[in-house]
Formats: sequence, structure tokens, C-alpha cells
Amino acid sequence: MEAGSIAAGHALDGGHADDHGHEAHPPEAHRSSRVDPQMLGMLLFIISEIMIFGAFFTAYFFIRVVANDEWPAPEMELPVGIAGVNTAILLSSSLTLHWALTSVKNGNRFGLKAGMLSTFLLGAAFLSIQVNEYVHVGFAPSDHAQGSVFYGLTGLHGAHVFVGLSLLAMVTVRAWRGHFTEAEHRGVEIPGIYWHFVDVMWVVVYSSIYIL
Amino acid sequence: MLNPLRSEQEAFRFLLWVVGVVAVIVLVVLAARAIF
Repeated sequence: MEAGSIAAGHALDGGHADDHGHEAHPPEAHRSSRVDPQMLGMLLFIISEIMIFGAFFTAYFFIRVVANDEWPAPEMELPVGIAGVNTAILLSSSLTLHWALTSVKNGNRFGLKAGMLSTFLLGAAFLSIQVNEYVHVGFAPSDHAQGSVFYGLTGLHGAHVFVGLSLLAMVTVRAWRGHFTEAEHRGVEIPGIYWHFVDVMWVVVYSSIYIL
Repeated sequence: MLNPLRSEQEAFRFLLWVVGVVAVIVLVVLAARAIF
């Protein structure tokens, strides 16, 4: 009881150390003097994402290089053309996102809103086409190892597109509410880096799975 | 040096760079397959 009163007294008079040398308030967070905390969080997140994609690509290259299996499997027919159009759609969404950010930096509110909305719609179109592809592709993940890798890699990427779309939806709503200005637009910039990362991964996934 | 995690601008430029590099790799592999 007495110790509790002493601790409460310390907390009231500015939070100095108690009898055990503990501070009455949490210490200041350690921060990098060179990297913004939000940017550092995205950096670490993307590094962990590259490792996850790396694990899936290891399975893909194991099948093709180590096991030397046929790719695609004899009964697999990949819709290269449709996926190519889908690739163009996704790459266009990076372009519109870049337009949105350039616009907000220049104080162009219309460009920000139009850019964000078109980015979201292009991303949603990509995901819808991919779901449609799954419905009509004609093989299941359990049919063969190639099918497992196909659904694994494209599905992992699709999940990232879904997460990216959720972020884009939030940014679009915030853009409409006027949350971003020429000086403060990190809320567009950081999800933008994530979206470009998702597009970079798709370029690698599409080239490996559909073309090579 | 191009750092795609520094800003959206650089992430976008990195995406264009990846598209270019992957296109070259794909063309080289397809050409090699056609020749050999």
C-alpha cells in the first residue's frame, strides 16, 4: 500500500524512477534518424514479402530445374493472352497511381481523386479477371505439382492484390474527404509503394508462369 | 542509386526498370530456345 502511494506520487510529480529504478512512463521509442518510421515499416514488410514469394518461386524452380518436369503440364492450357491483357491492366493501375500522387504533390485535387479511383477500378478488374480465369482454367491445384504451383503463386499474388485494393479503397475515400495536401500525402505515398511492389511481383510471376 | 522503398516516385521508376529487364530476359530466353 505504501509502495503504491510512493509510485503514484512519483507519477504525479513528473514520472521519475521509483524505488526499483523503473520509470513511471514508457521510455521514448527508438527511431532511425535517417528513415521515416512509416517508411521503415513498409521497408521491413516488403522485405518479408520478398521472402514469402521467394519460397513459392523455389517450388516453381524446383519443378522446372531440379525435377525437370514439363511446364506447363501436358493437360494444362494457360490463357497467356488473357493474362497478358490482365498484366497490361495491372501495369496501367501503377501509372494512374503515379498520376494520383503527382497530382496531390502539385495541389491538383481532381487528379488525385480520379487517379485513385481509376487505380482501384483497374486493380478490381485485374482481380475479377483472375477469379474468372480460375473458374475456366480447367485444372485444380490437386491435379499435379504444376497446378499446385500455378495456383500457389498466382493465388499468393492475388491475395496481395486484395490487400492492396483494401488500402487503395481507404486512400480513395480519404482523398474524397480531403485528407491529403501538397505537404502531407504519406497516406498515398506508402500504399503506393506497396502497390508498385505488387505489380513488380506480377511481372515476374507472369513471365515465369505464362511465358517462359 | 535507385531505391524503390524511398518514395513512390522511385518505386514507379523501379517498376519500369523491372519491366524492361524482364522483357529483355524473356526475349533472350525465347530467342535461345528458338535457335538451339
